[in-house]
Amino acid sequence: MCDLAAIINIIGKETARLILGLIGVLIIVVVNALVLTWVERKVSGHMQKRIGPKEVGPYGLIQPFADGLKLLGKELLTPANVDKPLYYLAPVIVFIPVLVSFIVIPFDGFLQVKDINVGILVILAFSSLSVLSILIAGWGSNNKYSLIGATRSVAQNIAYEIPLLLSLLPVAFMANSLSLRDIVEVQRQGWFVWRWQFFAFLIYFIAATAETNRTPFDLPEAESELVAGFHTEYSGMRFALFFLAEYTNIFIASAIATTFFLGGYLGPVLPGIVWFFIKTYFLVFVIMWFRWTFPRVRFDQLLNFSWKILIPVAFANLILTGGILKL
Amino acid sequence: MVREISDRFKEKFPSIEPKEIPYEQRGYHLFIEAEKNNIVDIAGFFRNEGFYLADLCCVDYVDYLELVYFFNNHNKLCRIKVTVKTDPDKPSAPTISHIYNMAHWYEREIHEFFGVFFEGHPFMVYLFLHDGIDHYPLRKKTVPVPEWDRQILNSFRPEEQEDGFFLNLGPQHPSTHGVLRVVVKMNGEYMLSAEPVLGYLHRMHEKMAENRTYQQFLPNAARMDYLGALNFNLGYVATVEKLCGIEAPERAQYIRTITCELNRISSHLLWFGAFVADLGGLTPFLYTFDDRENILDILEATAGSRLTYSYFRFGGLYNDLDENFVDAVKQFITRLRSRFSMYENLVTGNVIFINRVKNIGVMDKGYPIRYGCSGPVIRSTGIPFDIRRHEPYAVYDRIDFRIPTGTTGDNMDRYLVRIQEMEISLDIIEKALKDLPAGPYKAEKIPKKLKPPKGDIYHTIESPRGELGVYIVSDESDVPYRMRWRVPSYSNLMTFPELARGSLIADAIATLGSYDLVIPEIDR
Repeated sequence: MCDLAAIINIIGKETARLILGLIGVLIIVVVNALVLTWVERKVSGHMQKRIGPKEVGPYGLIQPFADGLKLLGKELLTPANVDKPLYYLAPVIVFIPVLVSFIVIPFDGFLQVKDINVGILVILAFSSLSVLSILIAGWGSNNKYSLIGATRSVAQNIAYEIPLLLSLLPVAFMANSLSLRDIVEVQRQGWFVWRWQFFAFLIYFIAATAETNRTPFDLPEAESELVAGFHTEYSGMRFALFFLAEYTNIFIASAIATTFFLGGYLGPVLPGIVWFFIKTYFLVFVIMWFRWTFPRVRFDQLLNFSWKILIPVAFANLILTGGILKL
Repeated sequence: MVREISDRFKEKFPSIEPKEIPYEQRGYHLFIEAEKNNIVDIAGFFRNEGFYLADLCCVDYVDYLELVYFFNNHNKLCRIKVTVKTDPDKPSAPTISHIYNMAHWYEREIHEFFGVFFEGHPFMVYLFLHDGIDHYPLRKKTVPVPEWDRQILNSFRPEEQEDGFFLNLGPQHPSTHGVLRVVVKMNGEYMLSAEPVLGYLHRMHEKMAENRTYQQFLPNAARMDYLGALNFNLGYVATVEKLCGIEAPERAQYIRTITCELNRISSHLLWFGAFVADLGGLTPFLYTFDDRENILDILEATAGSRLTYSYFRFGGLYNDLDENFVDAVKQFITRLRSRFSMYENLVTGNVIFINRVKNIGVMDKGYPIRYGCSGPVIRSTGIPFDIRRHEPYAVYDRIDFRIPTGTTGDNMDRYLVRIQEMEISLDIIEKALKDLPAGPYKAEKIPKKLKPPKGDIYHTIESPRGELGVYIVSDESDVPYRMRWRVPSYSNLMTFPELARGSLIADAIATLGSYDLVIPEIDR
């Protein structure tokens, strides 16, 4: 105990908090991904008149661990003609933006790794980095399907980053802050989704579904067209890392929606963190619901939808909010 | 109709005498013996008259090779057989692929199986076989393949890669439903050209038929189209019955109709799920499989197998209906009817789905004549062509049913036509069940070894995918001299290169899904 205090003294309180926080975040990331794979299987199973996994553990709860072990035990195949440095790098890079985004998310009033006064910017800046790893994976795989998937991903992310940003800005206007904790605290007077920003919430949620490459916007990995898109050539744990990142991205997108529009950790009776997870997982469930209901849109339809509908509406909403606040 | 065509033909070609043939015995109305030098003009004549090329095949009579052209009309039934003889040592014939696009593939097929060289054909490379083949497989005598004649499609031609890149869709690709390979030249997301490469599931059923008796070939028919196995089974059995003059009892005919329609529904249900899965919606697939399971259970109890049925026998059936059959079918009919509204809500009315299929892969009315497509694909273009109505077999002539048609011939129309067809099939089953007579299910005194009289026969039925034609040449022995299968998916797939040209890859895959392809049937 003494030693720990001494170490904290040496490296400083802030750094220690950051390190502990990152460890916590890593745990959350892995546990969340394990839980979400199980949830997705159960959700899809019940939506498709099946029952999902049930053999491994009670209600199939151990299934994700079994899958994880299987993926860990698999040989890491490297196809012959890949661009090796890029091919190896991509699954690692895919994780960095995901981890950083966690730092600023307030799980509870006191549970936040670091409250930065430009929290939104951190999240937006790093979430746009994730497309880099997809591009690297697609290019490095030296596979035509991967490359088409990667180019689709870039176009899609550029198109949907803008409405994403434009839908979050009005909330920052109203909260008068870019810090995520402040934004949550302001919502003690009422959630933003009911206070004028319902359209912003809708736009954010659609754009976030596209950002996380989920059906109906899962074009970078469109199975029936591109086999598996950018991760066609990845197997074993490398594939698992993409998988993990995908589920973590879904979680983050839902967590941000919760923070910005649904009052974050605020809620009666139950502790804040419980409320936070209830809201976030509800949104995650909605995203899964999309996937098992809708067919996939076409590439040009996807881009048209963003540039011709989402962005103008988001702009109008931003200007309107700004104008009303100024008055 | 037959007389008119015959007269007009005589006017145009005074030197050739068209013979009228009893249709009930042979399956065609007119027989024309043409020469090599006027087959192109004859094909042009029939094209102008609005006929389509139903089939083009070759028969090896050892002394000579005979090319057999079958023409038919979509509006009025008039099947015409045109033959051209060619020298077996140096077989050749002029191509008609510039008149009928579908001849393009048929001529390639004859080229690799018989060694017939088609003068003027633009792309004489192998369609099914690999380049290691050493003799022409369907010739009666062993004829070695010369080295220069072995050409397979090579997708990697670097000089052509300048303005685009090649993509191999398949043979292992999630949306080709089997082992179809399409070599696609792409420019970004757009397809510049598409060239299907067949033969990954080629088993040479036509050659197998020449090596076994009529009975022994029975199970093969079901293995060509595993989704419409009963229909293929019926196509074969009915052809042989017609050839031998066997009449199946009435009860058997009714049961054939009912089970074939059940089979059609199960095939359409599977297609429905797979088509939506091609578009990214994975859930309907499981729902339709749930419905389809009922049909499989019902047919299993009666026919003994779940997928590759061999239920029909010459002169009747293998067994009478299962005792629960009628009740189970009635239950299934009420169940499926209640499910259509759910499918309507889940898929047909979905905005994303509509945007993905509406006005995509539009086929105009010229396609059916140029390519000879059939089944729901032709009905989607607005032509009410259905063999069940045009050349009734089993008891379809006694049952009144509607033929659903589309208007634009796009993917949405093909989808809607199939959905309506399922509903109509339910009606047909209901009516047939009401009239189902009692009596024997099998004709008496069918010889163990069939030896049909000398001659040939062409018989067609409507399989779930379209016009299935069986052409058998008998030489009075107990094995067929030549058996030719005209399969519907084959001619439907031929339209793909033209439809896909210039479209987005996502649209092309939707179009490919809308054909309802069964690859084993194409490859045979």
